[in-house]
Amino acid sequence: MRQWQSDKSFESFATLDQGFISTFHFPRRMGKKIKVGRVDDDRYERSKRIEWLDLGSVAKAKVLMIGAGALGNEVAKDLVLSGFRRITIVDMDCVVGSNLNRCLFFSDDDAREKRMKAEVVAEGLRKLSKEAKPQAIVGKVQALPSGIFARHDIVLGCLDNIEARIHANSHAYAHGRIYVDGGMEGMIGKVMVSKPPDGACLQCGMNRSHARVASLRFSCTGTDVVFYEPKLAAEITTTSIVSAVMVRECLKAISGHPEMLLRNTFYYDGQKNISEELEISLDPVCPVHRAKSMGYR
Amino acid sequence: MPVRIKVKNAETGASVEMELEMENTIDEVIESAATFWSKDMGAYVLRKGKKVLRGGNSLDAAGIRADDVLELIPDPEGG
Repeated sequence: MRQWQSDKSFESFATLDQGFISTFHFPRRMGKKIKVGRVDDDRYERSKRIEWLDLGSVAKAKVLMIGAGALGNEVAKDLVLSGFRRITIVDMDCVVGSNLNRCLFFSDDDAREKRMKAEVVAEGLRKLSKEAKPQAIVGKVQALPSGIFARHDIVLGCLDNIEARIHANSHAYAHGRIYVDGGMEGMIGKVMVSKPPDGACLQCGMNRSHARVASLRFSCTGTDVVFYEPKLAAEITTTSIVSAVMVRECLKAISGHPEMLLRNTFYYDGQKNISEELEISLDPVCPVHRAKSMGYR
Repeated sequence: MPVRIKVKNAETGASVEMELEMENTIDEVIESAATFWSKDMGAYVLRKGKKVLRGGNSLDAAGIRADDVLELIPDPEGG
């Protein structure tokens, strides 16, 4: 004898076999039946359990990721595993050996052949997921036409210098695109979300000390780093935390939940075991906001 | 009229007392503190509690008062 019963949260299935009644209860989730053995076939089954997450929008979204170094590697990985498919990767550098302690997609062969980072990351994403459609652009973000910002839904900055950050921030803001910027040094990391049209932007939080070092690259390596520029401490655990927060903000924005976004800057110190949100108020004399109010793009 | 504030070095925990005029700017406080502690060339911000202070603001405009404790923190720019 087999009999189905259902109530609000469960569906029950009872069998009578050799005088013993066995009852199986299948939890009902979001009004759908789960077939035993099929739930683990779905790549995104666990993601679908996050109720606010809109995987359909995530799959269609176009993400512009600027920088394919340590942060870019982790962000790209997290983007694809989270369901993003259309990712444009911009970077001007080639792979070198000292990248390998924190760049998932780079190998010794890539370093030996001095392959371009953007291309290696794109290749790695295609291996990670058949659905991923990455596009690699080798070059400086400052050299790209401004329209590239308008052609994407959200912009992520995985950069190693203030000049490029300022460029990405101002163009994203001008085109009404949320800009998620990540930075790190040793055990310290930060993520800032710039939300046009009314929120503070990355440049609102800068001061003269930023201007003094704007042209320096805070990178471990790269073709333009000269020997006297400081090489920063960099390791994968901080990179992983910063990139995770960045991609999570991306998921919130694309899923249509701007109310969940970081209000300003997430600041993390892994040595002191603290993380907190710091407030950066909109600077009325910030060039980004003044340009916007004057109608410049 | 000068005011005394304390600036803390987030990286080492050390602190220094500064006597400043209300017209001094946040940028000037950052530069003085960074020089005092021989900080590496880099980007830094000054915070009061959870609030990051704007560089171009005077102490008065930033709402700084006598005996306030500010903290100098590095602004990580690596990627």
